Amino acid sequence: MRSEYLWSIILFFPVLLIQTTILPIIAIHGIVPDLILILLVFYSMRLGQLYGTVLGFLYGFLLDMITGSLLGSTMISLTVAGFIAGYFSNENKRDYYFKNYIFVLIVFMCSSINSVLNSFFSSADLNTNLIHLLLNQGILPALYTSLISFLVVFFYPKRSFES
Amino acid sequence: MFEIFSVIWKKFKEYIVLVLLLIISLIILSSSQKQSAKKASSVFFGVFANFSSVISDALDIAKYKSENSSLRKTNAELMLEINKLRQYGIENSELKDLLGIKDTLHYPILPANVVSKSLSRSQGTFTLNVGRRNNVRPGMPVINEFGLVGIVYSTSSNYSIVRTLENLDLSLTVKDERSRVDGIMKWNGANLVIINVPKTFDVEPGDRIITSDISSIVAMPVPIGVVVGLNNVETGIFNEVKLKPFVDFVTTENVFVIKVVESKEEDNLELNFFNRK
Repeated sequence: MRSEYLWSIILFFPVLLIQTTILPIIAIHGIVPDLILILLVFYSMRLGQLYGTVLGFLYGFLLDMITGSLLGSTMISLTVAGFIAGYFSNENKRDYYFKNYIFVLIVFMCSSINSVLNSFFSSADLNTNLIHLLLNQGILPALYTSLISFLVVFFYPKRSFES
Repeated sequence: MFEIFSVIWKKFKEYIVLVLLLIISLIILSSSQKQSAKKASSVFFGVFANFSSVISDALDIAKYKSENSSLRKTNAELMLEINKLRQYGIENSELKDLLGIKDTLHYPILPANVVSKSLSRSQGTFTLNVGRRNNVRPGMPVINEFGLVGIVYSTSSNYSIVRTLENLDLSLTVKDERSRVDGIMKWNGANLVIINVPKTFDVEPGDRIITSDISSIVAMPVPIGVVVGLNNVETGIFNEVKLKPFVDFVTTENVFVIKVVESKEEDNLELNFFNRK
């Protein structure tokens, strides 16, 4: 279990490398799936709500520093996303969630909230059409991210981690 | 007393941590424009860009082969174009000599590659593989073969972050190439727009928009985009002019930094949008 805490930090860097270099190749109209969010949701559900919230804060801080976006904007959105994902950290149902589409739905919900909050703080002009903002910067990236999160469901071991 | 706190903590620790972290984030957000925060960020992205440039280079090698043949064709077309322009240039300098006008247009440009892009479209930043060692400084314009890509925002010794035109914090003074009308262009989260254009101004769909001579950031004519429509036509006294940029920010990989020597006097002017908070 303790090594999982470490892995959640270590994995961030290779995943971010893939996110910033390879994923723009599969962008659709500038929309890219958010691998960091999938990683955050995965570890928030595995390691609990408290850890998920702190991990979201840490991921957000590192992302803001590395990508040059408005410092604090991603921190807020990922902290909230980690907190929400942590709600589904039920020891009895965890493996069940990871093995079917429920994980994808959780990723979709967290991604929508993350995208909307992030664009609200970092790029949204309040004069802009709010529905356009919700759709283009919230729902569409969340759909793409949740589609990619099927990979987690697909590759998640049939036997539980603990056993 | 301690027991009460202990019970509250046990019951609501997740919420307490969430609120605390959000407060810290908001404090950081409010101080994000400070010089110390920018310096720390440049160290972080400089280290990370070293790794992302390795992957980016590896990916580029695969594309070079197909790109080479199309570049040869473009080269041949440009050679013909240059020949024509050279004739115009000779005529132009002769005419300027006759009128006694000095030619001061010379812009040193530095080729660069995009090594990573921002996570989402809403952030609108690129990381380039040139930095302070190449004499790149914040405020320098970045272009590609189609037009203006953005402005250098932050630099480390070997890398720099560029705010693209699709970044909310970037505003530029632009000009309608046909009618010579000036305006302020910005990204509104959905479109590139020229804001507060009086309805009496002559701006029409199809007009080419370039950077304005009066811009304190890019004071040379660089193409930006084409007018595709006008908003707020029925209401108010101002139009909002909607633009389609010439540059495709999704596919942009190779760019050039224009190493313009900034005027310190001009930098301190209130109207310099790069310095505005």
